[in-house]
Amino acid sequence: MGLMEQVSMPQPVRFLLNWGRKYSLWVMNFGLACCAIEFIAGSTSKHDFIRHGVIPFAHGPRQADLLVVAGTLTDKMAPALKRVYDQMPDPKYVISFGACSNCGGPYWDSYAVTKGVDQIVPVDVYVPGCPPRPEALLHGILKLQEKIGKEDIQEKWRAGITKPVTG
Amino acid sequence: MPGSRSLSPAEIGDRVRARFGDDVGSVEEVHGHAVVSVAPARWVDLGAFLRDDPDLSFDYFDFLSAVDRTPQGGGYEVVTHVYSTRHNQHCRMKAAVSAEDPRLATLTEVWAGANWCERETWDLFGVLFDGHPHLVKLVLSEQFEGHPLRKSFALMTREAKPWPGAVEGEEVED
Repeated sequence: MGLMEQVSMPQPVRFLLNWGRKYSLWVMNFGLACCAIEFIAGSTSKHDFIRHGVIPFAHGPRQADLLVVAGTLTDKMAPALKRVYDQMPDPKYVISFGACSNCGGPYWDSYAVTKGVDQIVPVDVYVPGCPPRPEALLHGILKLQEKIGKEDIQEKWRAGITKPVTG
Repeated sequence: MPGSRSLSPAEIGDRVRARFGDDVGSVEEVHGHAVVSVAPARWVDLGAFLRDDPDLSFDYFDFLSAVDRTPQGGGYEVVTHVYSTRHNQHCRMKAAVSAEDPRLATLTEVWAGANWCERETWDLFGVLFDGHPHLVKLVLSEQFEGHPLRKSFALMTREAKPWPGAVEGEEVED
């Protein structure tokens, strides 16, 4: 049992820790469709999410803190998403970017599309749109950072809320 | 290429009919391309003829797919589009297979490119291709059951919530 489980962190320490974590989000782009292009536009000089402390692109899931699922997830692709998510080290976060990854979007009645990536991995922030503009991604990132800022990292470990869903 | 000349769709049709006679059903011109329907038993023969005849020389396999004609009382119609890089001409060949036992001989011996297209057509329409070297699922996940591009395939989501807009083809009637 480590120190982190035994002692409750005082608020200033917690603030500093979360402040450091939320502005160093190495991001993994799970780009599946046109939304991935908006994500890439978000990473380039015009929108530039690097100024918010999101670092593109993690060299692999094992170096990533944040997974952005951008696009249409098919049932055939779903195991790959699960595998990428499982490879990421805790604490990890997921942004579901766009209508398809939120709920299937225009493919709501498709025989091949997963209706919502939250069936496969736990999602922290949903960004609506078809596709959402890069600004919407920035807004989603700010929302996620807000969430991380309020987080009790010990609670996050204990409750195992980032534990991958099974089945 | 010196000496090469595109044949008109009608000329392509004439050559095919001269060779296959009554086994060729209809010869049409659609979008400037010859569309030849053939008896399923002569499917591969027609493919080989289209590829090997020097004036036809359809050396490029474009695609293969199927059309579900069961709502009109038919079976499945397998469609293949081929192109001649030598003569710059197009041809589509069609064969109707029964809804009860949809099967056709494979074209992979004639055009290797037919391999994946036939796997996809098996996957989505359930048309079996006899003699195919590796007829397993291509695009659907392994546990998927059924052939979703068949008109009879029920979309579970639509069973729960009917399509809110017009169905394709019904707009004209409204």
